[in-house]
Amino acid sequence: MKKLQESPLSKAAAVVLMLALTFTGAVFALKAVQAVPYLDRESYQETTEFSRLCRTFEDQIASAFALERQLEAEDLTYVERQQLTRELEQLKQSFDSSATNFRFVVCNDAGEDVAFNLNAGEELPAPVHYARFTLGEPWAEELYQAGYAAVEATAAEDGVTEITIKAPADPVSYTIEYAVVPGEQMLESGVEDALCQLYLRYDTATSTFSTWVGVAGSCLVLAAACILFLLWTAGHKAGTEGIVLTWQEKIFFDLYLAAMLVAGTAVFAGGWWLLEYYYHTCVEQQGQEGAWLPLSIAALCTLFAAVIALTLRTFAVRLKGRALARTTLLCRVIVWLWRKLVEAGRWMIELVRSLPFLWRTIAGFLAYFLANVALFTEARYNALAGAIWWLLNLAVLLFLCRWSMGFRKLRRGSQAIAAGNLSYQIDTHRMPHELRCHAEDLNNISKGMAEAVDEQMKSERFKAELITNVSHDLKTPLTSIINYVDLLKTTQQEDPKAREYIEVLDRKSQRLKKLTEDLVEASKASTGVLSVNREKIGMAQLMDQALGEWQEKLEARKLTLVTSLPEGETWVYADGRHLWRVLDNLLSNCAKYAMEGTRVYLDLVRGHGQVSLSVKNISREPLNIPPERLMERFVRGEESRTTEGSGLGLSIARSLTELQGGTFELAVDGDLFKAMVTLPQAN
Amino acid sequence: MTHTILICDDDRDIVSALDIYLSSEGYQTVKAYNGREALRAVEQNDIHLILMDVMMPELDGIRTTAKLREGSNVPIILLTAKSEDADKILGLNIGADDYITKPFNPLEVIARVKSQLRRYTSLGGAEKGPGLLCVGPIAMDDSAKQVTVDGSPVSLTPIEYNILKLLLSHPGQVFSSAQIYEQVWNDPAYGSENTVAVHIRHLREKIEINPADPRYLKVVWGLGYKIEKGANG
Repeated sequence: MKKLQESPLSKAAAVVLMLALTFTGAVFALKAVQAVPYLDRESYQETTEFSRLCRTFEDQIASAFALERQLEAEDLTYVERQQLTRELEQLKQSFDSSATNFRFVVCNDAGEDVAFNLNAGEELPAPVHYARFTLGEPWAEELYQAGYAAVEATAAEDGVTEITIKAPADPVSYTIEYAVVPGEQMLESGVEDALCQLYLRYDTATSTFSTWVGVAGSCLVLAAACILFLLWTAGHKAGTEGIVLTWQEKIFFDLYLAAMLVAGTAVFAGGWWLLEYYYHTCVEQQGQEGAWLPLSIAALCTLFAAVIALTLRTFAVRLKGRALARTTLLCRVIVWLWRKLVEAGRWMIELVRSLPFLWRTIAGFLAYFLANVALFTEARYNALAGAIWWLLNLAVLLFLCRWSMGFRKLRRGSQAIAAGNLSYQIDTHRMPHELRCHAEDLNNISKGMAEAVDEQMKSERFKAELITNVSHDLKTPLTSIINYVDLLKTTQQEDPKAREYIEVLDRKSQRLKKLTEDLVEASKASTGVLSVNREKIGMAQLMDQALGEWQEKLEARKLTLVTSLPEGETWVYADGRHLWRVLDNLLSNCAKYAMEGTRVYLDLVRGHGQVSLSVKNISREPLNIPPERLMERFVRGEESRTTEGSGLGLSIARSLTELQGGTFELAVDGDLFKAMVTLPQAN
Repeated sequence: MTHTILICDDDRDIVSALDIYLSSEGYQTVKAYNGREALRAVEQNDIHLILMDVMMPELDGIRTTAKLREGSNVPIILLTAKSEDADKILGLNIGADDYITKPFNPLEVIARVKSQLRRYTSLGGAEKGPGLLCVGPIAMDDSAKQVTVDGSPVSLTPIEYNILKLLLSHPGQVFSSAQIYEQVWNDPAYGSENTVAVHIRHLREKIEINPADPRYLKVVWGLGYKIEKGANG
């Protein structure tokens, strides 16, 4: 398929075929044209040619009668008589039944047959035509002038022709009844007169008309198919991808089209003129102009087809190569104008934008104000000005609305960013220019900040990973230390100092163990790598369980627990294990740092969709640091770090609470230490 | 009869420390320093229990456990420095019988070893009679009112006994303090559930090797207590 499309041979063949087909089609069409005068006639006897021939015969019959009448005159010279006699003989000969297929009977007004050329026993074949002529005066003078009988034939009604011969004697009228021998008999008798030829021509022309039309039509259809093929192959060339533009496509399409239009019109007009000439001479007049006329008409048709094919081809190539607009002068001009216009518009906008904002506002307002005043004054006399005034104010209102909408968007965006939503991007679509610049700046700020925060998070996570890995590595040697210290303890030590040292080692290694465990947990909790499985948790139940774990230890330190719970169970949505860790850390804090003999208060309060659990105790040491510091890692209520505890408990508790969507607050009032965990209540 | 225990860890000091503890308890020991050596040692010796580290070169503890489980049901206790729940669950699912997190308490190691060995050698197919409640190593003979853990009797107070009986008869089910109180004391609970938590802690101290990290009597924080259904082993 592609090969066919690209082959130059197929294209050439199609061109030749198309031209040949057009030429042949035109020739055949011209043949069909010959039958055009006969098309609406039922028989050859109804053609104009037939009636013209009959008129000639009528004239001749009337002439013969006139000649005979003339011969009757007595004052004729010999020469005149001879001349008239010869003429009469000639006429009579031409009426002889062996010389013509025309049959007639002439009768006078009395109904007697005066003359006829019927063979013996022959009757007038149908259809019979009638004609009438009158021989009358004055005729001599005219005869003199005309040389022989002057016959005045007047077309009368009913196809009967009135012929008046200006004879010297009394006027006499005759009627001619005539007919033509039927076609088959004409051919049989072999009398080949003009009537026979007419019959033959009519017969061939009508019987072959449809054939010629069919042949010409199919030729033209095939030629059209050839043109379609050419259009399909146009622009494809072997060895190159895509559409190839030839020199023809370098000519602007509108110029090309105009040239082709002129050429086509000229060819068409010439062809039409020749066709009309051909019709008049060769068809209507039966003239023989030779072969050159139909051939030249066909050649012009072929030329016309070539012009159309060329025009269509270049159109198709331009369409296929998407070069129509590019190669059309008009399009180029319009595009150029549009571009200049856009440029000018941009320049104008640039000019306005380069003005300071204040100036722009003042200029805009002045323009609006002046237009307003002018239009308002004009509106009294001019309805159009009134309409424009309304439109102007509507436009200004719309402009202000757009501004305020943009401003609202901007405001909302900056609020969101201020509230900490750094991923918020203000939609700058359809914003006035000033506001858009502002919004883009804000977007850039928030993007930068979001990136910084993200970076921070990443480094936090990296730190957590590092701590976890280091802790894992610490655990292995720690295991050995704890185990061997334990083994040392089982050996017999004579020196009491050695026993004391081993005791220290034991204590410190246990503390180291606790520290590494807390460290891992703290780093995990603060970076959010811990998995949180939130479910409905009963706070009263949890407190109960926690107290069950801690009651005895607290009592051992002479601490009294005072709990207050609301009626019924209080449900929160949290991870039980993490929440237990929070409570565990808080109670362990009490056990470590509360003053002996005091009370520890545990209060559970619910309301406003929140549940808060507070733990209050009196510190044994003075709390000389603010609560924020207490939550920092490795910070403890006393400066010396000799006591148990890692200083990570509160930090872990806060991180775990926040992981579950709650808040963790500390308050220090003198020696009163208060921790409050607030979680959203579950229904 | 002395039992042979395979100790496998890439840290030689830990292996020798464990060796000292276990030898002093009268066990025979075989040492290995990675997963491959452990597999070879199991082939060459008659091993009754394996103590194995998780993070080891060449073949780690998890994969070694999986390989061993293809042809043996010898008790395996994993030693792990990873204290994350996911690792413990993976280890138990792959076929380990118990786990101990590093840094461990030697007493706990010995207790767990003893427990596993007792169940492996004597309680292979624990006989189940009527009135005998069994979950893991805990067995309660209701007719004799006796509770044994790994075959050794535990003395419980009547309340502890009743609580344990309630939980054992519904393994896997979570009971809140109030529910336990109502069932055991036969009294409606009016804020006196606190005692339940204390009793349970005592109970846990009696039947669990490490009460802070219970294997059988579990605390479901904020919801209640339960006996682990089909607890490991």
